[in-house]
Amino acid sequence: MLLNSPAVERLIEAFRRLPGVGKRTAERYALHLLSAPTEDAAALSEAVRRAREAIRKCSICRNLTESDPCAICSDARRDQGLVCVVEQPSGAMAIERGGTYRGVYHVLHGALNPLEGVGPDELEMDALFRRLKSGRVSEIIAATNATAEGEATALYLARQAQPGVKVTRIAHGVPMGGGLEYTDEGTLAHALDGRRQMS
Amino acid sequence: MHLTRFHCRSFRCLREIDLHPGPEINLIRGRNAQGKTSLLEAILFAATSKSHRTTLETELANSGAGEFHVRIEVQRAEREVVLETHWWKGQKRVKINGVAQKRLSDMLGKVSVVLFAPEDIALIKSGSALRRRFLDMALSQLEPAYLAALQQYRQVLRQRNELLRAPRPDPGLLDVWDVQLAREGEVLIERRAAFIDELAALASQAYGKIAAGELLAVAYAPDCPAGGLAELLRAKREGDIRRKMTVHGPHRDDIEIAVAGTPARSHASQGQQKSAALALRLAEMDLAHRRTGELPILLLDEVLAELDARRAAQLFDAIPVGAQCFITTTDLARAVAPEGRPAVEFVIEAGALAQS
Repeated sequence: MLLNSPAVERLIEAFRRLPGVGKRTAERYALHLLSAPTEDAAALSEAVRRAREAIRKCSICRNLTESDPCAICSDARRDQGLVCVVEQPSGAMAIERGGTYRGVYHVLHGALNPLEGVGPDELEMDALFRRLKSGRVSEIIAATNATAEGEATALYLARQAQPGVKVTRIAHGVPMGGGLEYTDEGTLAHALDGRRQMS
Repeated sequence: MHLTRFHCRSFRCLREIDLHPGPEINLIRGRNAQGKTSLLEAILFAATSKSHRTTLETELANSGAGEFHVRIEVQRAEREVVLETHWWKGQKRVKINGVAQKRLSDMLGKVSVVLFAPEDIALIKSGSALRRRFLDMALSQLEPAYLAALQQYRQVLRQRNELLRAPRPDPGLLDVWDVQLAREGEVLIERRAAFIDELAALASQAYGKIAAGELLAVAYAPDCPAGGLAELLRAKREGDIRRKMTVHGPHRDDIEIAVAGTPARSHASQGQQKSAALALRLAEMDLAHRRTGELPILLLDEVLAELDARRAAQLFDAIPVGAQCFITTTDLARAVAPEGRPAVEFVIEAGALAQS
């Protein structure tokens, strides 16, 4: 690093904590902000501060929102009895982009991961189980990631959900419009296991 | 498949080597410490991105160079494959047919190579970990779905063990890891059983050729019988919690190897152990041939050492006709390649090639 300044180092470290940002990129961001007009840097820090203040977790689904309850939880046209459980807000956003899902969400903000010290208490599990107790939920869709951790979280939900609530798991398999030859072997093995009868 | 051209630069003690090998037997001659083993290691590394001597890739770079480059051109049944690896300052870049690859696993299965090295005697002699490694490496090359299950199993095992280290593990949480451990573990047990079943017959055939008259028996010794892993995990949970680790499962599997009816690990002679290890490698090659329809490239490091002429002839008999193989030897004077089989000789001296 060409600037031997603790303040700059702190800034670089702050960028490095962001997902997908490595050492080089963090340095580029920091140097850019330092050589750009002061207003640009101030505008960025102001934007971060404002967004942080404006955004909180929805008291129902724990998704990030500006209004509480969030727009989805307060939408009367959506099926409040169908809850899709995702690990991150980005998961809910991805499903929303699909445009066909008419239920609501629950965001866990992570997945069970003993190696990272994440257990049920570190996730928004209690909030979910409270929703189930209200009696208005008939089905939860475990849409956690197709990783060992996501799978464990889905299984945990299935076992802890109270009787009377149906728990389903999203299917894993060949992407739409994708040829088999482009699908990796692990996915194909799961796709074969999860085959459906057609006649 | 056949290696038609090999090129490397700064790989260990090898300076620059450009080799055009013959389609069958290739004898790599040279005195000790001239780079014969490194040449085989470079071929193995180019094909699999792994070395049999180290997991530290820094060691593979010629001291002083700080980089190395290996490239193989291989004629396969349907087309030619060119694999290229450039290592520079700890970064590995792999190209397949000139196209840069993101995932190293894409390389697996492109070119199959079977190596037998003196260290392989540990396959017979040492603890079960090396035999499991042999199984995992061989199966991963043949069945990518096995590799997927293995990686998932290892990850779930790490997570479960971490959970077991907690002061009072939550049974409900253990359950969800157990389900996955059992599911992936059963895949491993089933695939290993089928693989060893097939391997056993081929290994005893190969052993019969190398050590005429003696019997080699190879059998799967699973820590848990197929279909019983979920039950076993349940039954042993209390013990797992006390020991703070997962005591049973496919991560404790072994292969039983017996020569002339007695366990090879404890009772066989040095020579028998070496022959048994070689028979396992030849069987691995045979099996790959059956599954893929193509003969892997065979790399034999120092197999001829200590063999008399009769034993050496038996060894050549065990190498499938049509297979391309690379054999290192310090034996400079004696002609060792059998008559009637096309053989090419190369001499390595101080890390460079001198065609003899």
